[in-house]
Order: sequence, then C-alpha cells, then structure tokens
Amino acid sequence: MKFLTTLAIISPLAFSSCCEQKKIATTGDTQNDESISYQEKETTAQSFVRINATIQKWSASQPWDKSAPAKRRALGVLISDTRVLTTAEMATNITYIELENADSTRRLPAKVVAIDYEANLALLEPDNGDTEDFFKELKPIELGTSAKIGDKIDVWQLEDNGMPLITEGTIQSVDIVSSFADGHYFLTYEAKGSMQSATSSFTLPVIRNGKLLGLLSSYNSKDQIIDVMAPEIIAAFLADTADDKYVGFPSIGIGISSTVDPNFRTWLKLSDDVGGLYVTRIRKDSAAEKAGIEKGDVVIEINGRDIGRRGYYSDDNYGRLYWSHLIRGSQKVGDKVNLTLLREGEEKKVIATLERPGKRLIASYTYDQAPRYLVKGGFIFQELTGTYLQAFGTDWKTKAPLNLLDVLASPEDYEEGRNKLVFLSATIPTPATTGYESMRNNIINKVNGETIADISSLIKAFQKPGSDGLHTIEFSHGPPKTIYLDVAASDTVDAQLLKRGIPALSRE
Amino acid sequence: MLKPSIRLTVASLVVLTSLPALLPCMAQLNPPANPLAPLPPAPAAPQVQSIYGSIVRIEAATQVPDYREPWKAGRFSGGIGTGFLIGPNRFLTNAHVVSNARRLLITMHGSPRKHPAKIVYIAHDCDLALLEVEDFTPFQTLQHLQIGNVPKLESQVRVIGYPVGGNRISVTRGVVSRIDFSSYSHSRSDQHLVVQIDAAINPGNSGGPVLQDGKVVGVAFQGLRSADNTGYMIPTPVVRRFLKDIQDGTYDKYVDIGITTFPMFNPAMRRKFGLSQTASGVLVASVTPDGPCDGVLKNNDILTAINGNTVDAAGNTLIDGEKVNMNEIVERKFSGDMLKLSIIRDGKAMVVNCTLKPFPPSQMYSVQYGVKPRYTTFAGLVLQPLDRNLYAAHSFTNTRVRRLFAHYIDEGIFKERQDIVILTRVLADPVNTHVSGHVGTAIESINGKKVTSLKQAHDLLHPKEAPEFFIIKCEGLERPIIVPGNKATEASKRTETNYGISAPSQLSK
Repeated sequence: MKFLTTLAIISPLAFSSCCEQKKIATTGDTQNDESISYQEKETTAQSFVRINATIQKWSASQPWDKSAPAKRRALGVLISDTRVLTTAEMATNITYIELENADSTRRLPAKVVAIDYEANLALLEPDNGDTEDFFKELKPIELGTSAKIGDKIDVWQLEDNGMPLITEGTIQSVDIVSSFADGHYFLTYEAKGSMQSATSSFTLPVIRNGKLLGLLSSYNSKDQIIDVMAPEIIAAFLADTADDKYVGFPSIGIGISSTVDPNFRTWLKLSDDVGGLYVTRIRKDSAAEKAGIEKGDVVIEINGRDIGRRGYYSDDNYGRLYWSHLIRGSQKVGDKVNLTLLREGEEKKVIATLERPGKRLIASYTYDQAPRYLVKGGFIFQELTGTYLQAFGTDWKTKAPLNLLDVLASPEDYEEGRNKLVFLSATIPTPATTGYESMRNNIINKVNGETIADISSLIKAFQKPGSDGLHTIEFSHGPPKTIYLDVAASDTVDAQLLKRGIPALSRE
Repeated sequence: MLKPSIRLTVASLVVLTSLPALLPCMAQLNPPANPLAPLPPAPAAPQVQSIYGSIVRIEAATQVPDYREPWKAGRFSGGIGTGFLIGPNRFLTNAHVVSNARRLLITMHGSPRKHPAKIVYIAHDCDLALLEVEDFTPFQTLQHLQIGNVPKLESQVRVIGYPVGGNRISVTRGVVSRIDFSSYSHSRSDQHLVVQIDAAINPGNSGGPVLQDGKVVGVAFQGLRSADNTGYMIPTPVVRRFLKDIQDGTYDKYVDIGITTFPMFNPAMRRKFGLSQTASGVLVASVTPDGPCDGVLKNNDILTAINGNTVDAAGNTLIDGEKVNMNEIVERKFSGDMLKLSIIRDGKAMVVNCTLKPFPPSQMYSVQYGVKPRYTTFAGLVLQPLDRNLYAAHSFTNTRVRRLFAHYIDEGIFKERQDIVILTRVLADPVNTHVSGHVGTAIESINGKKVTSLKQAHDLLHPKEAPEFFIIKCEGLERPIIVPGNKATEASKRTETNYGISAPSQLSK
C-alpha cells in the first residue's frame, strides 16, 4: 500500500500565512506539554538541512542516452557531525546533490555515503569536507525510540524564508509498507494529519519529544495519511553504515500464502489452535533453501512468535504486525532465525541463517545502474531489467512484450546458462539490418555458436564471427530462429553510428 | 525507432452492420405517416431498375451469447445489411450481417413486404453467407447478378446497398485504390484477398454488391475507423471459392499451408543461403506442428515456387497480372488438394508435395458465432475453455494465460490440451469464500490429473464417488483450491439457486 503522492512543490507565496498553523507557547510557564517551546524549536531546527538533487534516469529505448534532468528538494536531518539522513528516493539516479542551509545562504556539494533502495534510506556527507563551515551553526539530532499508536508526532518543513512549518499528526496504525523499491516492505507508522505544501517537501523529518522519530516517505492528501519510516529501521541502517561496507537488510527467501480458508486448513491438517503461513515458493540459494524449508511447508512460529493465519504475530510494542518484520526489521544479515514448520502435519524445527537476497535473472531494481547494452550493425541488445519493463508505462504488466513478461513471471525457465537475460530491444534501420527493421524483443540464445549469459559474453561472441564473414544470431523463439549479420557491413555501420552521435557502442 | 508495423490491425477494421442502423429502419415498420404518392411503374431504364430490384435489404434480429455469464440467454439485438440475388432463391450477403441471427427478414427495393429468410450456408472465415426466402415467388422475375472478375486498379466501381442515413437504396461510386492480402475482421483471425475502394462504405452497406460493367466485382464488407472514404470489399475469387466449396452441400472452410515465412531482404541472409541478388524465394521460418507441411518442409528451407508460380523474396507471387501474397494460391485450394512446393534445402533445389487439410486447433483464434458458450460450474467456480470469444469477454491479464493463448498452435500446446480451461469466476459461497487470486488463471490439474479439456475437467469434478478433497491447482499458483468432497454437491446446488444458473454446465457447442 504505497502512496504515490509525495507533496508537490508549490509556490511558497500561496502559503504565506501558514506559520500560524501551530500555536506556539509564547511564555515558558505554559504547562501544556504538547506545545513546543521556542527554545526547543530553535534547537530542533538546527538539525535540518535542505537537500537539492538533480535526478536523471537512463533512457530505456536508447540506453546510451539519459532522459531530461529533473529537480527535487527535500529536508534532510543532520544525524552526526557532517552526515545527513534522507530517503533513497531523494538520492537515486542523481547527477548532482547538494546541501543548503535553512536561510539559503550557504550551499555545499554532497555525495552519497550509503543508500538502501529497499528501506528507502540514504546517508549523505560533504563531497570535499566542510569547506564552507557549513555545519558550524548546526547540531545533530538524536534518533528517538519506538512510538505507539496514539502518539503525537510533528512533521517539519521549512519555508523559503527559513521559517519552520510544523504539522502535528497522530499515529493511527503501524504496518509493513513498501515505500520505494517495489516489493520490499518495512515497518512504517501511519499518522493522520493535514499537511500543506512548502518548499523542500519531497522528504521530511518527523520529530517526537525533540528526537528524530523517522522520515516522511509519502503523504496521501486525500486521506491525509502521513507515512513515516520507523526509528528501528533507521537505527539498523545507521548501524550498518558505521563501517565502510554497507550490507543491507536480510532476507529469508520464501513466498507465502495465508491459511485463512478452513477447507485449505483441513487439507493441510492444521488444527484450530495454530495459525500458519503456507510456503508457495523458495528462492534459489536463499536462506530458506539452505535451512531445508520446502514448498508446501506451513510456517507456524518464527523466533518463538506464533504466526497467525494471515501472517500476523503479536509484537510487544505494536500489537499485531506482519511476520516479515521479524526478518527484515529485527535481524541482521548473518543472524540465525528459529522457525517451526508443519510438514504433512508433523512439526519440524529449522534454523535459517539470514542472507542478502541472491542475484536474480531479472533484478527487481537497477537504480543508479546504467543499462548494459551493445549496438551491433544497428541491432540494440540489452540485459532485461525491471526498469526496462516498467518503462512501458503504469500498466506495463499488460503493455510490455508478452515474452519478456514471461521471463519475469517464470525466470526458472530461462536461468540455465544465463546470468542475465540478453534480448534484442530494437533495430535501427541500417544497410546491415535491411529486412530486419521490425525485429525487437527477441530473446538471444547464442551468437556465433556461443551461449549468451550476459552483455559481456555477447560482446565476446561478436568478436568471433564465422569464417564466411557472417555473424550468426540465434533467438530462443522465432520466427525466424536464426538470422545472419554481415561482419564487414555491421562494422561499417558501427563506425557510422559513432559518427552520428551514439557516444559508445556498448556498456558493460 | 520503435515504429509500429504498417499492416492494418484487425481492431481498426469495422464490420458494417451496426445497431444504429436498426433505428431508422424501425420507423419503416410503422404505417407511413406522410405517404408519398406511389410512383407509377417507370418504363424507362429497365436495366437499372432490375439491378436495384435484385439488391435486397436484410433485417436481422440477433441473440448474442454472454461469455461472461454463459448460462444467461445473452443480449437481444439486431442490425441491417444488404444482400443480392445470384441465383434461384440464392441471396449472397456477409456472414456478419446474419451471424447469431434468430430471425431474418428480406425486403425488396421499393416494396414494403418483409419476407422471412434463413441461412443456407455461412462461412465465417471469409465473411460470406447464402440465404434463401421461405417463398421465392415474389422474386421470380428478378435478374440474377453475374459474378465478374477482380477489377483493375484505378477503375471505377459502384457500391449499392442500404447504409445508414435513410431507408431507401443508396448508390456511391469510387475507384479501386488497392488490391491486397488483408485481415477479415469478422473472424479476427483470417486474411484473404481484399480490394480497397475510395467509395464511402457505411454501416448497412455490408453484404451489398460492388458493380462494374453490370457485373458484381465484390461484396462490400468493412471499413476503416481511422480513415475516411476507405471501404473494403470481398473480391470475386473469394466469392467463387465459397460458392464452389458449398457445392457438395457443406462449407468446409479455408485450409492453411501452415508455415510462417520471413522475407529474404537482408544481404547477409541471402549470402548464407547462397541466393544471388535476383534469385527468388522466401525463408520458411516456422512450420506449424501437425499442419499440412509438418514433415514436408523444414525451418530454413527456401520456398521458391508453389505449383510452379514463382515466389519472390517478399513471399509474393504473380496472379492475374497482380503481385499478391503467395497464400493467394493456397487460398483457392480445398481440403485434400495437393501443393507442389519448390524449395532449396541445404543449397539443393528439390520439389516436395503437401496435402492441404483442415486444422481444427486454429479455431482458438477465430471468433465463434451461432454456438453456445461452453462452461461448467462446480461449487461456485465457473470454468470455461479459452478461445477468442472468452478472451474478448474477459481480457485476461495473467501472463501464463496470455502465453498459452499466444502459443497454443506454434508450440504445439493443442496436441496435449484440447482446451485450456480457465477459472473465469468464483461465485461467492461459504465453501469458496476464501478463494482469491485464482480467478483468471488456467487450471493445471484436478486431484493430480492434468486438465486437457473442459469435458475431462467436468468429469474430474463430478465423479461417481466424491474424493475426500477436490484439489484444484491453477497454473503459476502453488496454493491449490481445496473443496471438501462432502460439501461440493451441496455448494454446487446452492450457488446454482442463488446465482440463477439455469444450467450447471454446457459441454458441447
């Protein structure tokens, strides 16, 4: 349940009176503990840094090109002397990112220290040290502890003039939400509050009791629901960034289905006093596979917590919470997790050592990675990625080419001999591709007799043409299954394409 | 760079009977409010008069089956088209004018009488039908229109019919602007010779004659939504083939050669196959499993001639002075006819023979008319076999289902699975209320047995003795649907009553 609406950047003039949004106690003797004193407000504001990012994605159809740049502004949080926390969304596919102080008098180029696309978190620091004395008036903020349902939170924004704009919200629910990379779910607070747009609104700090509670990841203006990434997730992220090597959140590698259906339960021989999740899929080389979990097993307990029929367990702090938090939200890579399974009605205990998710034929995301491609004689070959498929628009699941969608749905049918799936993404009409102009979306099996595992092996295979002066290209499906390309003609075309402005014929 | 193929998509073609055409014609059923004085019989221009007389208005009342809720009666509707007399009590028209018809009425030009008619032969694959009236007496004196030849490019033709915009006969003129092998939108899966003319052809014109020098040179049948003044007609070779096919008393359909070809334009490709710049021949890129050429042709054969007609690099051949798709030769043949195929295999020229035969699995892709939708129900689950009608009614998004549909023939899936059985609906009932995410998927197995046809699936779900559980596995989903054997019958009865399912199954068409 990801809300796509992040606050739009609207002219600040439209909100010139919005600093009245929150009544601020004018004297220190007010005993209302829900209001914030000037002093406290000043201190908190000293931890916020504006972030300006220029974002540029790669073109899916012409992988040597980047699309038009876009700008984003956000409010980051100074978390240590010179390190600023923001969302991954803010720091992904960036060509330039800089820090800016509240009153916009100083700016400092920054770089990404660590980024986690799954948890949607990023850590920035100055690119060349604190050359501007940028941080001298700033103070890091402390990370707070878990909140509860009903707790009040403050979402902070800064107006153009540097004045803070604070929106109060109340936490209404706690859930496991995917906020950036599709299919990766993390602990998120959902608070009710009516926000208004100001500058620097893409990602915002959320404060509770003078400490950082989390970052706003999205705001649904219709329902007025603010999604806030929880402090546990931020703490785990920051702990991981302590050394130079960022690892990321762990995974167990199972697909599951609920066991609510009473008929299904009877068939599984589940008694009424257990819940349980039915295992539908085991990812290859995953922690689950190594632990001996099998398709058809029913997971009834993780680390001593009973798992309900819909996959919820009782969390000490949050109440009913989805099981994935027991893996991704509370454990590190390398940690051992105890699972109790029911197999054919028999109880079975296994220990899984958590890992990072393994490499997949089609990576679920390829942020910050330029697409790998080869242009040969006018043929454009690429490695298939989720990003490529998503470029077919919001309804890409039906609009993208069927044979490529099939690879995504059934990768096991294509994995043999492949690291990545190489396909012909388009054909530029050239003297070498005469008659092939309409060919595209063909999956490559072999070139010049060599099995194609990825773009690198494709480049190598094209270096060994047949003695007849022809390249032989074999597709997984026809028709036709095999086509030929003239070596001399395609080399000539390649040289011309470089002259015509394609900057490089390949990227590995 | 990603330019769309230029070939017309089927979707952009429109058949020319339509509901709006019904409205003006209904007014005609009422007594004329403002009757014009009937014209005295005109002695002059008897030629023209007699041609108009042979061109009739066809009024169809239809019942279109509901593939979403197949137990329902369907939608009652209707339309207007045109037909013409080609022999004693033989009226030619389009198949789409009379498809799914429950009642047909024929009206003569200038007469208020409506004559009940019925379909004698119908050919959905080439959109033609032959009708007869119950009583031919009033039509006895009318001229039988003669079938002519394919008109030349740029020559002028007349289109006569009863299109929207009025009740009386309408005549438009146009020029033959293209002769091509193209899609027939009625079945959505057939391609035959088509003649494009620039005369306005509108809804209601369907089935009407296109005339040149007093002879029929085509049957008006479809238009193009995206272009003005572009009409299409079925040329006479297709009409003649239809009339010849029905001579034995049944329509046997077109037969296909069952190969996919790829043009030999690329110089490297030509070099690989040892073809000179000017040599003829097209690449055989795939051979349909179990088709007429299975075991006769192989991938990478170069097809150079069919029955002595040279096939060029694009797969075209010269017939009657016009370059047309080589399939046009096959088009004029019938089931059981032999084709002599000249090929080059591994550099060697040779001649092989294939015998044309019907290919029932291709029905998967043709819109079916005049048949009852097949289905079965079980404990609130609705199972239907995949075909073009079902696909159009449900617009499936499941990748597996789309893939099974797309590759049903070329990957030989039909050999093992007569039907792809789809779970199209779950009618909520206590026994299935927790089943979710399974709708729109293909049923893989029932109690461990692979599902190969609707009938077999029905039998597996209705055994003499119920098993402890019915275990229904859907393709791509690990979690099966479980229905306890002792609750199934009761649940089936309950859903039938609650959802008004008049018949729990329909296993034959």
